[in-house]
Amino acid sequence: MTEPALVRWFLTGVALIFLGLFLLVPLAAVFAQALEKGAGAYIAAITEPDALAAVRLTLVTAAISVPLNLVFGVAAAWAITKFDFIGKNLLITLIDIPFSVSPVISGLIYVLLFGLQGWLGPWLDLHNIKIIFAVPGIVLATIFVTFPFVARELIPLMQAQGKDEEEAALVLGANGLQTFFRVTLPNIKWGLIYGVILCNARAMGEFGAVSVVSGHIRGMTNTIPLHVEILYNEYNYAAAFAVASLLALLALVTLVAKSIVEWRLKVSS
Amino acid sequence: MSIEIRSVSKKFADFNALMDVSLTVPSGELVALLGPSGSGKTTLLRIIAGLESLDQGAILFNGEEATSRHVRERQVGFVFQHYALFRHMTVFDNVAFGLNVRPRKTRPSKEEIRDRVHGLIKLIQLENFADRYPAQLSGGQRQRVALARALAVEPQVLLLDEPFGALDAKVRVELRRWLRRLHDEIHVTSVFVTHDQDEALEVADRVVVMNEGRIEQVGTPEEVYDRPANPFVYNFLGNVNLFHGRVDKGEARIGGISIDLPEFEEAAAGPAVAYVRPYDIEINRSRSSQEEIEARIRFIQGAGAVARLELERLDTLELIEAVMTRERYRELGLQEGEKVFVRPRNMRVFLEDYNI
Repeated sequence: MTEPALVRWFLTGVALIFLGLFLLVPLAAVFAQALEKGAGAYIAAITEPDALAAVRLTLVTAAISVPLNLVFGVAAAWAITKFDFIGKNLLITLIDIPFSVSPVISGLIYVLLFGLQGWLGPWLDLHNIKIIFAVPGIVLATIFVTFPFVARELIPLMQAQGKDEEEAALVLGANGLQTFFRVTLPNIKWGLIYGVILCNARAMGEFGAVSVVSGHIRGMTNTIPLHVEILYNEYNYAAAFAVASLLALLALVTLVAKSIVEWRLKVSS
Repeated sequence: MSIEIRSVSKKFADFNALMDVSLTVPSGELVALLGPSGSGKTTLLRIIAGLESLDQGAILFNGEEATSRHVRERQVGFVFQHYALFRHMTVFDNVAFGLNVRPRKTRPSKEEIRDRVHGLIKLIQLENFADRYPAQLSGGQRQRVALARALAVEPQVLLLDEPFGALDAKVRVELRRWLRRLHDEIHVTSVFVTHDQDEALEVADRVVVMNEGRIEQVGTPEEVYDRPANPFVYNFLGNVNLFHGRVDKGEARIGGISIDLPEFEEAAAGPAVAYVRPYDIEINRSRSSQEEIEARIRFIQGAGAVARLELERLDTLELIEAVMTRERYRELGLQEGEKVFVRPRNMRVFLEDYNI
């Protein structure tokens, strides 16, 4: 580094002040507001049945969407990086769509598709299948929004690793599954975990898309972010922040896990 | 096991990687595929291995059709240019991989695998490195592990893609001599790809010179070096001087020299090129015949086992490269800038239009 000390201190200072103002102060405020009425009120707010239902729904949604996107992401990255086929670029573009589309639009797509007035709505209604304003809709919207995380993380990594090791395994007599589990998977392990952590954080924290398809039925179709909004709109600030603090905690845990995995990624490469 | 390649063609988009290539590798031979980059040598190797499909033609192992056989079932050992070792496995696990992935029925017992792997690790002289990971090894060590891993499955054919390409010069020479000795011990039919003529000439029983998707010449190292089939092989194997002239009625006139060429008796008169190796350039201080060309010495590199000279023809200003023994160089006492008389020996004449 050749910059004078003054410049370095100034730049570092600006970055730190910015981080403090926009990240640390709000984070502290969440916990301060949450505990404003004491620990008793805090615990009551997060153990109240509707809050617990929201936590349960969030966990269920993540438990379904994260593994699905894990499988999809690995399959897509594997196909894109190890094989040549027609439509490869189209697939890469499709994977990126959820990143470039507003989450609200993502939710609306499902309402238009599965809603009562939508294309498949009448048929679903006839067979008594509920997707919109029910758990399946929330899961679908979450899957859509978290679609790119695993694949996007793996594609550059697998591209950099090339297909030499897979070819070596094939020549040595390994079949497709053996090649995948003994060669490919160990090589992408840390990148995969990293992608899953990001995917999980987004799955649990998603608001826009889920908000459109959820219907906000208390204790039924509210995830944690939606529950926070309802409490907040009811001027129940302490309870809103108490539940929000759960999400903040999730963010902190994600951050720590992410740092550990990033460190491992660096070590293993 | 012998390998037979029958008029194989392969296209990548608009690029003809291989055009009607036929070649037979007898059992137990060590063959080099030699050519510049883009000549199709690696593609041919990968087609033999089954890593690449072919558009036309057939591959036969021991006379049996193998074209449709999956890479898994071809029983070939393949050594990749950049080793392709499994980076998360130790040297031991890398070498054992091919045995460990066998179906239970044909898989040797744990003890057998251990003994065989240790035997191979001993063969590649890495006994103390069995627990190391590839990242902890030098390039030469990694390449030896890659070779041991390929040999562990007792392949019928060993295929090596630029096996020494990524190594520095000294390790390269050591390793290729080691490979030659190894081949003399185990006699597995081997094909290796290289763009380094020294490597091909030193290691191989037979050299296959390739260019632009075709085979230019097949022969022993002596044959391809001493009797190149065409100008490409001449140019590719070693330095060469070109002398332009004409061929007419079975006689070539190159500079002041005329050469009888009965094989061109029937050919139409036309331009021709004579190829002469630098050590076949004779230099004299005084004119002894009309067949000598006048030239000026531009540069002398006198250090080393031989002296290298760069000369400029006084008539055409073309450059001539010459090599002579130390003794001859001392005896003549040549100086830079001096005028001398040059006499090419052992000229090989090709008609100009033969040149692609």
